Amino acid sequence: MSQAILVADDSSTMRKIILRSLLSLGADQVVEAGDGAEAVEKFVPGQFRLVLTDWNMPKKSGLEVVQEIRAQDKAVPILMVTTEAERGRVVEAIKSGVSDYLVKPFTAEALKEKLEKHGL
Amino acid sequence: MDVAYINPFVEAASTVFKTVLNCNIERRLLSLKKTHAPTYEVSGVIGLSGKATGAVVLSVSAPVAFKVVETLLGTHVEEINPDVVDAVGELTNMIAGGAKTALSHLEMSIGLPSIVTGRSHSINFASRVPPICILFDTPWGPMTLEVGLETEGADGTGPNLNHN
Repeated sequence: MSQAILVADDSSTMRKIILRSLLSLGADQVVEAGDGAEAVEKFVPGQFRLVLTDWNMPKKSGLEVVQEIRAQDKAVPILMVTTEAERGRVVEAIKSGVSDYLVKPFTAEALKEKLEKHGL
Repeated sequence: MDVAYINPFVEAASTVFKTVLNCNIERRLLSLKKTHAPTYEVSGVIGLSGKATGAVVLSVSAPVAFKVVETLLGTHVEEINPDVVDAVGELTNMIAGGAKTALSHLEMSIGLPSIVTGRSHSINFASRVPPICILFDTPWGPMTLEVGLETEGADGTGPNLNHN
């Protein structure tokens, strides 16, 4: 089973915060992407156990990332981590194939809880 | 500008600081922004568009920005570096996102943050309405949030950044 986790966010601060949580939970293979296109480029079906993606990113939005990943891999859990919190946006994300949702700003505990829910 | 648009930004800023920086900030003065000069050395700018159009600018002094990075990332910084720039951009993003959710009836989208540093630049709100400047006290010093929003039908299109 693959152990790699993909983290896509155009904010290096946010990637570092997420990375810190992942490392504290024992994850040791984390692949970072600074925009949506890079996330899709780095994703290889079957090689990731979890994907975390922001929504508003340059080059490709998180929604496009989710759609493109889902077209290749139906099973990998995708956690959307975003400021987009309106009900309509959440529904749109879920329809696109998002498995779970975490609204920014979040506490370290809330992130940890989501990560543990997805097997970390 | 409708003052009802201000509270969601004030509340979003308080929530962001409480949640990710574990600190309370206090709102001080409200004023109309009369100059194009940024209030402090590091400013995050995000455009909003929808049934209301405009921008939000978070402006913090360098010492406040350094403390933000120290708290978020646990790294000590003494100069404006990429971590400082990115952290202020992400704070601005979370504040704009929180306010956008509270103002969901305006069906706004938010743009990607731009960050300007130093004092030798100006931020022009492309709106006929002067932005409202909200002064806050943080545990590390003051910061401001400038909000300029114009409702549908007006010709505001967001901010222009001019570097002098």
